[in-house]
Order: sequence, then C-alpha cells, then structure tokens
Amino acid sequence: MTSIIQFEHVSVSAGGKTILSDISFDLLAGEKAVLCGKSGSGKSSILRTLLGLHALSGGVVYFQGKPLDYLSIRAIRSCTAYIGQEPVLGADTVREALLLPFQFKAHCGEQPTEAQLIAALQRLHLSAEILKQESNHISVGEKQRIALARGLLLGKNLYLLDEVTSALDEASKQAVFAVFSDPKLTVLSVAHDPDWINRCDFALKLEEGRLSQVTRHEHA
Amino acid sequence: MNTLDIAVPQMALLYGLCLLPWLLLWLIGLRLSRDIAISILRMSIQLTLVGIYLKILFRLNDPWLNGLWILVMLLVADWSILQRAGLKARHFFLATFTAIASSILFTTAYLVILVIQPAHYYDARYIVPLAGMILGNCLQGNVIALERFYSALRKNESEYITFLLLGASRWEAVRPYFRQAVKAAINPTIASMATMGLVSLPGMMTGQILGGSEPWLAVKYQIAIMICIFTGTTVACIINLKLSLAIALNAFDVLKEDVIDKH
Repeated sequence: MTSIIQFEHVSVSAGGKTILSDISFDLLAGEKAVLCGKSGSGKSSILRTLLGLHALSGGVVYFQGKPLDYLSIRAIRSCTAYIGQEPVLGADTVREALLLPFQFKAHCGEQPTEAQLIAALQRLHLSAEILKQESNHISVGEKQRIALARGLLLGKNLYLLDEVTSALDEASKQAVFAVFSDPKLTVLSVAHDPDWINRCDFALKLEEGRLSQVTRHEHA
Repeated sequence: MNTLDIAVPQMALLYGLCLLPWLLLWLIGLRLSRDIAISILRMSIQLTLVGIYLKILFRLNDPWLNGLWILVMLLVADWSILQRAGLKARHFFLATFTAIASSILFTTAYLVILVIQPAHYYDARYIVPLAGMILGNCLQGNVIALERFYSALRKNESEYITFLLLGASRWEAVRPYFRQAVKAAINPTIASMATMGLVSLPGMMTGQILGGSEPWLAVKYQIAIMICIFTGTTVACIINLKLSLAIALNAFDVLKEDVIDKH
C-alpha cells in the first residue's frame, strides 16, 4: 500500500514556543489513525500542519511521496475534508452550505442532484428537512455531519477529523462509523471517544508535542 | 468680487470661540484641554506652513516642483494609511504607494487635462488642490479597506480555510472579505454624493463661493471633484488590496502574522 501522509522528524514552532517536536509517522491509503493525548499536547496542530497552516521548523511532511510545497498543498486540499470541533459551514442555510463548493471554479458543473443531497444526509442520520434550516440554528453535531456530507458529495478521500463524534448521540455515531468503514477513505483524527479509538487501525499518543506511543489495533 | 480678509484681531476673536466648547467639555467632566490645545496649535502651524509653501508654489509654478509636492503628499499618505490600518510599512509601502499613486495621478490627470483644460496642465492652482482633495479622501478609503479586510481575514480564519479546503482558489476564498472591505471603503463617498447639497454644502463649493466664484461654476467643480474622489478611492482600494494579498499571504495562502502590527 502507498503512503498518503508521511511525517518525518517534523517540528513546528509558533510564537517562540515549540508545539510539535520530532514527529514521525506514516499513514497508508485507507488507514484510519487517531491522535490521542491531553489538551494542548499538539493533536490539532498535526492536522493544521498537514493543511499548511503551520510553518515547519524542522523535518519534512510528505503527501503522496511529495514534500509539502505550494503545489502539493493544493493537492492535499483538493482531496481533504477537515471537520473541526466547531465546523464552519460558510453559508446562511444548510442547502447553501452543501452547495457552496460547487460555486468555485474547481467544482463548477459538478453540482449534485437533490436526490444525491438527500442520500448524503441520510447516510449520516440527517433528514432532508434540515436542508431548509439556517446554519446558525443547528447543533454542533449536526454541523459536523453536514460538513462530513459535504466532503462525501465532493468525493474527498482523506478526512481530518477533530473530535467528530464528541457531540453525537449513539445512532448518529453509528452512522459516522458506517461511513468510515469504507476502505477507500483515509482518516487522521483527533479523539477521546474509546469507541472511535478502538475502530482505528492505530493510535498515536502525544505528550507535550512529542509522539510518546504508537498502538496498533488488530481488527477481526 | 473679492473675498473679505480676516484681520489679526478678528483671527484672535475666532480662536476665542474655542473657549465655548472648552468650557462645556470641562463642565461635563471631559478633561481634553491638552488634546484640544495641541490640535488647534498643530492645525494653525501646519496650515500656516502650507500657506507659505503654496504661495511660493503658485508663484514659481514649476512642473517639477509641483510634481515633487504631489510626491511628498503621496509618501505621507502612504505612511499614514499603513499606520492607521495596522499594517507594517516595510512590507506594504511599495504596494500602497503603487495603488494610490496610480489612481491619484490617473484621476487628477483626467480631470485637469481632459475636463478643466488649463493653459498649462501642470498649473499648481489646479493640480495641487485637486490632487490633495482626491488623495485626502482616498487615504480614508484605503485605511478602511485594508483595516476591514485584514481584520475580517483574521477573525474568519476558519471560514477562509474552509473555503480553500472546499476547492476555492485564493481569490475565491478572500472574495467575500474583499467585497465587504471595498464596500465599507466607498460607502461614505456614495452616501456623501447622495445627500450632497441637501444635508450639507460641500467644503470646496463653499470655498469657491466665498472666493467669489459663480455658484454654477462652483457646482460644476464640486461634481467634478466628487466623481474623481469616487473613482480614485475605488481604483486605489481595489489595486491596494489586490497587491497586498501577494505580500500578506504565504505560498500556502495563509496570512503571515509578521506583516500585521499587533495592537
């Protein structure tokens, strides 16, 4: 299997403080990884580094074998969906939020049909009624699943998820698990939820910006 | 028709008028005496110096000297825009200078050469006050545009990154904040044009009428200057924001923190 993401001795400093130090790991296509650790240990910084939001002070990040530069960052962004703890929908209504990317040149002419919109929502345990709702009148859990649905509609295959099941009820959580059981989807996540951690192929434990432990999970 | 001069004793009487607001402010507990005194003193010294300089400038009426005066105005405006917008001058000085210089030179040249058509296009009586008025308004607009744009980009960083991740190009991702910033910058000029003559008599027109011009001539000049202010401000703001993007964002389209002054 080919490596999609590779961190090689990566260090990141911001505001004179080291936030990541000598991080190395590989994420292969289709693998699901989870970053664990206390608050402030650098979990979200790894996701942000991969998106080019932090400058590296040491080491190299590879994406599909190519080091991070202005060309590869566009390649990462084009195939990545990032769902933060408080996802931004960027539009007034849920329907507009789902259709937002199709206004950009990169996705012009790929607009999904109504049936595809509803199917994406239903996969994530959301009803079609939510399409009419205003983005700021829905819960965090719903926002996260709408952001996920948008990733699915765009055909994204790399998902960076920050505590994506923390605000979900059991049925919604199962729906999210079902979506990510797809072997074509690669996931790098941040989570505290034991159910989510156990479903991942491996867990990377961080302590004060350093990788302290890697635990591989065997799935039947 | 000659304008009546204001003699020295009458000027003293004029300064005496400031005692009224000073007393009222003191009575309501606003201790602004120092600020008011400094502002009035600065205004008086600066305008006296400009008066002396303009007198020489008008007498010599040399194209190079007039050009030099406009250059000085542009450099001071450039510095002032960046200071007030909270951007570091060493990064943005050239971009802002290019934006304001190109728009001011274009609109002033358009107005003087094509519209007013004086005997000498470099006539200080026309180009210095007209360029100054356009630049003064352009300065305000550019401060608003830059300040609004970079504040919005910092405040909405998550939304901006979301746009990039959803496939937006750099331009598509900044466009909502860009439009809002330009709108905020030109709104005062648009509102001012819409109410001109109803709410207030504009300063230049009043000045011309007091100077002895026919009201009809003063009206035409006022319309000319307002159109040039609107054009100059809009063009300068758009060029300035566009040029600043290449400086403020890194190769990964992320805002560089070291180009913004942290207040």
